[in-house]
Amino acid sequence: MNFLTIVVRGLLRRPVRTGLTLVGISIGIAAVVALVGISHGFEASWATGMKVRGTDIVVSNMGNALAPKPFSAEVRDRIGKLPEVAAACSIYADLTSVEDASMMVVSAREWGGFSWQNLKLISGRMPNDGMEDAVVLGQTAAEMLKKKIGDPLQLETKELKVVGIVDGGAMVENGSVILSLELFQKITGNEDRINVIDIRAAPGMSEEAVKQLCDKINAIAPEAKAMVAGEHLGNSQAFRFISAMSWGTSLLAVIVGVLGVMNTMLMTVFERKQEMCILLAIGWKPSRIIRMILWESALLGFLGGIVGVIIGTISVKVLEQLPAIHGMLEPDFNGGLMAVAVVLAVVVGVISGLYPAWRSSRLTPSLAMQG
Amino acid sequence: MKLETTHASADVASEVVFEAKGLKKEYDDGRVHALRGVNFRITQGEFVVILGPSGCGKTTLLQMLGALAEPSAGILHYRGKSLADLADPASYRAREIGIIFQAFHLLPTFTAVENVQMPMFETDRPAAERTERAVELLKLVALGHRLDHFPSKLSGGEKQRVAIARSLANGPTVLLADEPTGNLDSENSKKILELIIRLRREQNMTLVLVTHDLNIARMATRTIEMKDGLIVADQQVPQTAA
Repeated sequence: MNFLTIVVRGLLRRPVRTGLTLVGISIGIAAVVALVGISHGFEASWATGMKVRGTDIVVSNMGNALAPKPFSAEVRDRIGKLPEVAAACSIYADLTSVEDASMMVVSAREWGGFSWQNLKLISGRMPNDGMEDAVVLGQTAAEMLKKKIGDPLQLETKELKVVGIVDGGAMVENGSVILSLELFQKITGNEDRINVIDIRAAPGMSEEAVKQLCDKINAIAPEAKAMVAGEHLGNSQAFRFISAMSWGTSLLAVIVGVLGVMNTMLMTVFERKQEMCILLAIGWKPSRIIRMILWESALLGFLGGIVGVIIGTISVKVLEQLPAIHGMLEPDFNGGLMAVAVVLAVVVGVISGLYPAWRSSRLTPSLAMQG
Repeated sequence: MKLETTHASADVASEVVFEAKGLKKEYDDGRVHALRGVNFRITQGEFVVILGPSGCGKTTLLQMLGALAEPSAGILHYRGKSLADLADPASYRAREIGIIFQAFHLLPTFTAVENVQMPMFETDRPAAERTERAVELLKLVALGHRLDHFPSKLSGGEKQRVAIARSLANGPTVLLADEPTGNLDSENSKKILELIIRLRREQNMTLVLVTHDLNIARMATRTIEMKDGLIVADQQVPQTAA
């Protein structure tokens, strides 16, 4: 028998209560894993979208809204003249309701721009020109909108025709309605307005050089902000708010878990008061009793963390299969997130055990002789 | 089986183990006087029975000897050192003394062999050695066949035997017993007493035993009778009885 055996027996003494506490803490950790995993996944997917489009720099004005603020299309010409810029593609991206889908990405791209090149046709064709009343749908968008080639699609007041279904190589691309920028500007009355410019840097430029190019662009285009692709989403206040909400909601669930563990450990100290006094009377140091309580709560946290990671992962996998959001989630359950979740659970366990441990340290061994 | 002890028997034969001078203990801000000034000396190898009615202070005195409680006034020395000034009372309880409780106080979620190992966690013994010693001790108290039984599966007498084995875990030179037969029937009481006395004699341990039972007092080498927090009689018992 070693010290860990004593710790484990302490938890097994009340298996139902230990089990319920485990459930409490694991729900908190599951919330962390699910919400943060979804949030990270969205960010990672956005970065993948940029990568498959071959975009090195994104110029946009990410304010408080989910979609970037529009600015003059003339900015693109200013930026395109820089010698370090190999190509620039104007885009108008919006998050809006399309027919029955409450929120979809509508991505209007400069006709002939490089941002069309990553789209692989699965069926149908690409629009014939920039003013054809046609759209292509990412494969997930087609599933969500229940559209096939030749079907009409109502966008704002204009009826367009679905001419192609494409694989964009990333969740965001596959969930988009894609059309030419010129057509979209005409439909929405936003002539000469864009809200994103995708930029390809000249071949062979180092990361540092790309960052310096961002500074250069920012100097000549104060209407928007140039950022290295993949980092721009993190700069969005709206995304930061969503991310903070994910953590906030998760932490609330974790706090409930903390209270659960603390309650269990306090009950343990009260119930096992005489047992602890006996241990003190037969020679255990108070520090060993404290360690026993802290190890018990840490183990409870650790097990809760493991169970929480499993529950969180399975929950999101189940969620992904729901018809309403199928294809919209691409959670990022990387090892780092799992490790952070388990470490968080252990820390929660230890913190929850501090007060009960302190209470146990105040027990006097003479109580062992009472009864 | 020869148990290991922290002191060689020959060296400590006439050594003063406990010495109390003017020992007092008050509770409830001085409203309750459990000990009112107690003086005595106990030497190595003695079997001292402390007698007296309920509330006379005998258990409080035993708590003081075990460093389970601190005196309100007076001096209590263990082998010449003040117990109040012990830097590490836990170490004293773990290594110098063994305590036997009236209610056995075994931990219910641990087997007999595991219960006996509990005091050994404050020593440097590795796990295998702890188990080996616990098995030896349980065999010594005739419980070699009950090693893996939980306390709920043991009789009262068996529980007290496990508690005795536990008290010997770290080879103490002093045994403190608080009404060790108080929860046992007469047959088991007799067997437990015989066991404690035999172990004390074999190991030349000092035994301080608190009881109401005058029959037990006759087996001791010395009796201390208490009343209202004071020692009212302190006398040697003829050696043939011990």
